[in-house]
Amino acid sequence: MSWNHAGSGQADATGIEHLDGLYSYAMVLSRNHAEAEDLVQETYVRAIQAMGRLRAGSNMKSWLFTILRNIWFNQLRKRRIAPQMVEIEVGDDVANNIVEPSKNSHDLYVSKMETEQVRAAIQELPVEFREIILLREYEELSYLEIASVLDCPVGTVMSRLGRARAKLRAMLSETFKGSDSPSVRGTK
Amino acid sequence: MKDCGGDYGSIIQLYLDKELSGRDLEEFQAHLEGCETCRAELEAGEELSRLLRRSRPLYSAPDALRQRVMQTMELFPSSAPHAPPRLRKRISKILARPWQSADRGVPRWPVLVAAILLVAALLPVPGILRQASANSYIEAAVAAHRSSLNGGLPLEIKSESPSVVTTWFAGKVPFHFRLPDAAEQVGRQQVYRLTGGRLVNYKGGYAALVSYQMQQQTISLLVASSKSAVAAGGEQVPSGRIVFHYSKHAGFAVITWSTHELTYALVSSLPGSGRQSCLVCHQNMADGNHFSAHR
Repeated sequence: MSWNHAGSGQADATGIEHLDGLYSYAMVLSRNHAEAEDLVQETYVRAIQAMGRLRAGSNMKSWLFTILRNIWFNQLRKRRIAPQMVEIEVGDDVANNIVEPSKNSHDLYVSKMETEQVRAAIQELPVEFREIILLREYEELSYLEIASVLDCPVGTVMSRLGRARAKLRAMLSETFKGSDSPSVRGTK
Repeated sequence: MKDCGGDYGSIIQLYLDKELSGRDLEEFQAHLEGCETCRAELEAGEELSRLLRRSRPLYSAPDALRQRVMQTMELFPSSAPHAPPRLRKRISKILARPWQSADRGVPRWPVLVAAILLVAALLPVPGILRQASANSYIEAAVAAHRSSLNGGLPLEIKSESPSVVTTWFAGKVPFHFRLPDAAEQVGRQQVYRLTGGRLVNYKGGYAALVSYQMQQQTISLLVASSKSAVAAGGEQVPSGRIVFHYSKHAGFAVITWSTHELTYALVSSLPGSGRQSCLVCHQNMADGNHFSAHR
């Protein structure tokens, strides 16, 4: 199943290694599982179509994220819907998982709770903060790469990232405040 | 960078994100050693990053999605230029239904034979208005063929008998069709043989996938209602009231045509042009008279 593309500087790259990242990005943008899956699927299909146009030395990862973002915002424009109108589904699966943690998996339980709270906090951010947190903290894209994905100046990336972190830090501090354990439900 | 009287917030952020380099980096590191405020702020930033990164990936792609993406990649390896959007969905819908019009008494098989026999001059005419829909059908046919080759679409009816296969499809598809009994016979020699068929989905309805074997190669014929499937574009070869469309998609030779409210797509791995593909199957019949006789 190799997805080769000659001349990209990443011979034998398949792009599949970015699946979780793309899905996370799609979830951050759409906040909806079904929409996120469609977005990712569409991203790969379009990427395959355009693979031949990927220039040598191009960054496949940021390229894939750019495709996904373009698809999403084009869809938004067509549907004339705003992101906040999308049904938020995040957290459901984790909530189910943490109902009755097994006694010998306390660490795993704590970790899941923490993850859920982080997700909840991120998903409460404005979309421009959500995506920049995802691209930097989770995908570790450089400022230049993020600027490319978001189609904005590097300076904007820096300032927006700073504000996003400040906001997120405040939210997470509030979430964990007064609790020794992170097993406090998110603010969602 | 002197002391912490100024605002080092942006510098700390750059440092955190490994965007600081060279002299700026050295200066900040030197400053950091003597500035408790900056160290505390840096530590707070690092703590946030650690918290976030402990939850990586933020979301894990569902297994079903992973499988679909993998299938898409398999269907369009390397730089296939015609990969369609929403391919997977289309693929999953494509594999379902048969041929039509036994009740109309219109022989369908000669049309198939004619398509395979195409040896006339090819007239390249650009399809425009219906091209998108035609591409969709071709992509579906190619996807079905490829899945058949990979074992992803096993035949639901295995038989070399046209009547058995025809009977199996009857009532399963929203149109009527019949595989002529003499379908496999071309001239005096049986160059290819029917192996069976199965239902596939296409645009929310059923289409018929009929499979043939020739020289150890599988040939697929997708049949769908012309209401949902269009034949257009590619190299066009008119023959009577029928226009055959030859094209190459994802390395496969594809011939499509429409007649009597059905649209057909013949997919094979036969090398060369459409004409050459036809000749491989029908070398004993590669004459225009025969072609005309079946119309």
